[in-house]
Amino acid sequence: MGMTGHHIASTYRDLPKDKIPLPPKDAKVLRTGCDYCIVGCAYNAYVWPLGVEGGPKAADNAIGVDFPVEEAAGGNWPNQNQHTIGLVNGEPVNVIVMPANSKVTNRLGNHSIRGGRIAQKIYNPYGPTADRNQMPMLRVRGMLTPISWDSATTIIAAVMRHVMDRHGEMDIAFKGHNYHYYQNTYAWTKHSRQAIQTPNEGHHDKPNSSGDSTATEDSGMDTFASNYIDFRDADVVMMVGDPLYADQTIIFTEFMMEGKGKAITVLPRRTKDNTWAEKTGGVSFLVYPGTDQVLLNAISRVIVENGWEDKEWVKEYVNTTEEINFGMGRGTKTSPASWRRGRFGRGFPEFKEWILKDQYATVEAAEKICGVKREDIIKAAKVLTNEGKAPRPKCTFANEKGLYWSNNYLGTASLVNIGMLCGSGNRPGQMFVRGGGHQRGWVGGGSYPTMKSPERSAKMGRMPMQQDKWTLAGRTKVFWSEATQWIENSMGSQDLADYVQKHTIDAPQLVTSTDEGHVIQTLIERVDAGNLVVIHPDPYLRTLGALYADFVLPVAQWGEDDFARNNGERILKIYEKITDPPGQGKPDWWIHKEIARKMGFDWNDWKNAEEVFIEAARFTRNGSQDYLPLIVYAAMNKKSPYDLLRQRAGNGYRTPLLLVDGKLIETPRLHDSTRVNEVIRVPGVTTVHKNLSHFNSTTGKGFLYETDWRIYKDYHDLVAPRKEKGELWITNGRVNEIWQSLYDDLRIPVITQRYPMHFVEIHPDDAKPRGIETGDLVSIENDLVWVQVAGWWANDDDDMLPSSLIKKGYMRQTKGAVTAMALVYDADAVLVKPGVAFQYFIWPGAPSQAVSANISDPLSSSPRYKTGRARIRKIGVTQFKGTISMAPKDLVPARRRT
Amino acid sequence: MGTEKLETVADHLACFIEKPVLTRRQTMLAGAAAVATVLIPLPEFNVTGAQAAMKISRYPRVKIGTVSSLVVDKPVKFFYPQKHENQRNLLIKLGKPAKAGVGPEKDIVAFNTLCQHQGGDLQDLYNAKWKIMGPCPFHMSAFDLTLHGQNFAASAPANLPQIELEVEGDDIYATGVMGIIYGFTDNMQKL
Repeated sequence: MGMTGHHIASTYRDLPKDKIPLPPKDAKVLRTGCDYCIVGCAYNAYVWPLGVEGGPKAADNAIGVDFPVEEAAGGNWPNQNQHTIGLVNGEPVNVIVMPANSKVTNRLGNHSIRGGRIAQKIYNPYGPTADRNQMPMLRVRGMLTPISWDSATTIIAAVMRHVMDRHGEMDIAFKGHNYHYYQNTYAWTKHSRQAIQTPNEGHHDKPNSSGDSTATEDSGMDTFASNYIDFRDADVVMMVGDPLYADQTIIFTEFMMEGKGKAITVLPRRTKDNTWAEKTGGVSFLVYPGTDQVLLNAISRVIVENGWEDKEWVKEYVNTTEEINFGMGRGTKTSPASWRRGRFGRGFPEFKEWILKDQYATVEAAEKICGVKREDIIKAAKVLTNEGKAPRPKCTFANEKGLYWSNNYLGTASLVNIGMLCGSGNRPGQMFVRGGGHQRGWVGGGSYPTMKSPERSAKMGRMPMQQDKWTLAGRTKVFWSEATQWIENSMGSQDLADYVQKHTIDAPQLVTSTDEGHVIQTLIERVDAGNLVVIHPDPYLRTLGALYADFVLPVAQWGEDDFARNNGERILKIYEKITDPPGQGKPDWWIHKEIARKMGFDWNDWKNAEEVFIEAARFTRNGSQDYLPLIVYAAMNKKSPYDLLRQRAGNGYRTPLLLVDGKLIETPRLHDSTRVNEVIRVPGVTTVHKNLSHFNSTTGKGFLYETDWRIYKDYHDLVAPRKEKGELWITNGRVNEIWQSLYDDLRIPVITQRYPMHFVEIHPDDAKPRGIETGDLVSIENDLVWVQVAGWWANDDDDMLPSSLIKKGYMRQTKGAVTAMALVYDADAVLVKPGVAFQYFIWPGAPSQAVSANISDPLSSSPRYKTGRARIRKIGVTQFKGTISMAPKDLVPARRRT
Repeated sequence: MGTEKLETVADHLACFIEKPVLTRRQTMLAGAAAVATVLIPLPEFNVTGAQAAMKISRYPRVKIGTVSSLVVDKPVKFFYPQKHENQRNLLIKLGKPAKAGVGPEKDIVAFNTLCQHQGGDLQDLYNAKWKIMGPCPFHMSAFDLTLHGQNFAASAPANLPQIELEVEGDDIYATGVMGIIYGFTDNMQKL
């Protein structure tokens, strides 16, 4: 099933099974978690030989319950997609992976559809995952050809070493997962940051090492500071660009549904979250992509105008203008964060003065620009504040990529404003966090070398390098893309694809044999001529590997080594090895170790994943994922850290950990003002970080910002749909069933029956005039995709506006298109806002971002993936008419009340 | 439809955090009171020799209703393949052709009533407008009855088990189950 283009599922019905084999009493039980979303639910894996089965009596099976199971929501029933066949020591075995009955996270076996079928991810040589990468491959005469690990690592080390010595470390690019278990993220960043020291770094989801919800971080708030019970205990959960039901399913179904609170949603497309908001007495806003900021400003204005803000809290926990500026005597404020805080941060009186007079921070502006209603804006302000009266509602805020990958800095800052006015961010049930993402498996093996980045904006200091821009400028010589799709991930993706093709497979320096000397010499000639070498470790052969990469390396993924990482409430868990990786698959940490050692770097010869886990621990110190105390505690008690993690199983340890009087202390939530006396003077060997009880700013306080729409408006106007061309906004985003898991889902019929190929949802009012109906094949085309190719420095506000960049010749005009299946819901089942079409964000071979401009946010260097535009025309019909349910996906049950 | 009843089920749910397990019996009882569908008593299995010889099946062939007595969108409850609370099903004339539908309009289908996610009770959650069962009161899964019980709105990782039907004259027979009913590892497991 190796994919060289748009992936289209060949199955469109999940075949029923007849029987689920039960694990016998002596089956091996392994502790793990779901591999996919940030919620990080706990799972157990049962492994036992073929031809053996447990019995239906509790005493006769490893699950330990009687079958048939009578209880609902007990978490003891393995469904038909929780069983598979895997290999252990080369022999086929039975495997069941099912939710664990942990005390936290997914209590009583709750699970999303993604985790609920994670057994199907396992490498099954007799099943749909049989197409996993098996051996290191080198492109020889255009063909991917097997070579030995020794050859692959020797050649790659030689070419990287050459580029470092001859062209400089900045020409070596690493783009990798920033979540994929501590072992692997530590190894790749030790390689890139500590050893090679290159700033040419991108993450799986962005072309740089920039922040995500940048203004949240600037405000001193850890984006995963909360405890999941805060979502249950909040009176209002406000989600912006963040459908929690899709993004953090178990937070929604396990915690929000259990609570009594209302919801407010801000999205361009309906999900169950919107219906939930309406049914609970909250508000559901449908906005045009990128305009959230205007709506959020309007809500802030209504609150401030009426004096509904949490006055006491604002006084105690929000910086005054003076406090924001008082760092001046202690050196220049030139880091991007400190510059932004000074440039946009305001004390409450100054914030109030600004927002009451700004013409774009009005209800009228929001109605016009966002396409929302006045009464909804006022209602939202009332729901959030109870009009300033007691009891004040406890509000928890969640934001995600719909907000911060449209309008990164000002969008997130305008939500921080509402959070601050409502007194959220530092109390139980009143937190301010991200509401999605990958699990927290990141530990940087060195500091990002910011000072080497060429990127500066306005008067702020250097920002992380935007590596696609650097690559398009002809600088990158070696590109390492680790378990992530570089091309389809990128803004203006087709322009980038053209560049990569021209400088790899179309370059004259082509490898013609597997002889190491020949390969090294050829690839060195290639990079010296200004061309590119691409290395792509990945579980599957995907577009980048199939079309362009010089090396495709087989990796061991989840369940194929003993990994560890945190989830979104900072619970550290072990993810034990369940089955063999395919063929010669190796974990990423092993690959980096081999290459780095061959490049001559000082590097321990790690023998197993636990050794890497222990070495990485010190790099977590003082952070929200600090697990160093666990390593110390284990040593004090003569135990292995992994044995301790195994004992804790799904309940894990909640970091940051403190070690006090020989005992480990966990952290329920960060910035917790109710714990000041508890944690501020903890005696012991571990440091106590400000984060535990305060915001992470100089004063320990949060920020309000002057979020001026004009800075974003210039970009917004440039990329907005052109009426005369019949264009729509083309946004993209996540879908509950497939986000984070699609690379596996493509092989799993219970998912592909509903999502067989890339799709675009179109409002019936937009579809009808174009003659488009469900199941049609459509082309989504933008004949003017702006790509920023220069403008590394911006001396003033004006210099960072796209209109200025165009005048200076720093922008190129390109085109982009993508093909999809149309989904047009009935008028009363419709999901998208009229004038907006919604695509899935990264379908293999279908670059949804091809119709989005490649112009990063000048304030944070973050991408703006979600603000595409295009015309849509029918080009044919798919075979999926009549096989996909068009029943409304946003239905929710009646609300539980006691 | 069914709003009252949902809240009743949910009230039971509310206690399951403290009291770790909600029993099936509780939800069943909660549901039974509220809705006026007909519960057909389980007939004795009478597998006739001639019909059984037509194909080999692990499942019994059981008459569960008649075409002429079905009214569009009025579900009828029945147990199959065994008399077990988890094996309660709905026989429904959808008024719209469905995959594996029987009868002159190919619109008669039958489905098990326990959610494939965590066993939530869907027996009173047939939605006539959209021809679906759900959303489940536990975690909002829903299933499209025109498409083999397709799990069109998460979180269930499997389709709702569809009861295989045959029509003979006016009689409707259940002849098998596509999928594994919640709680079972084999629908025909000896009870």
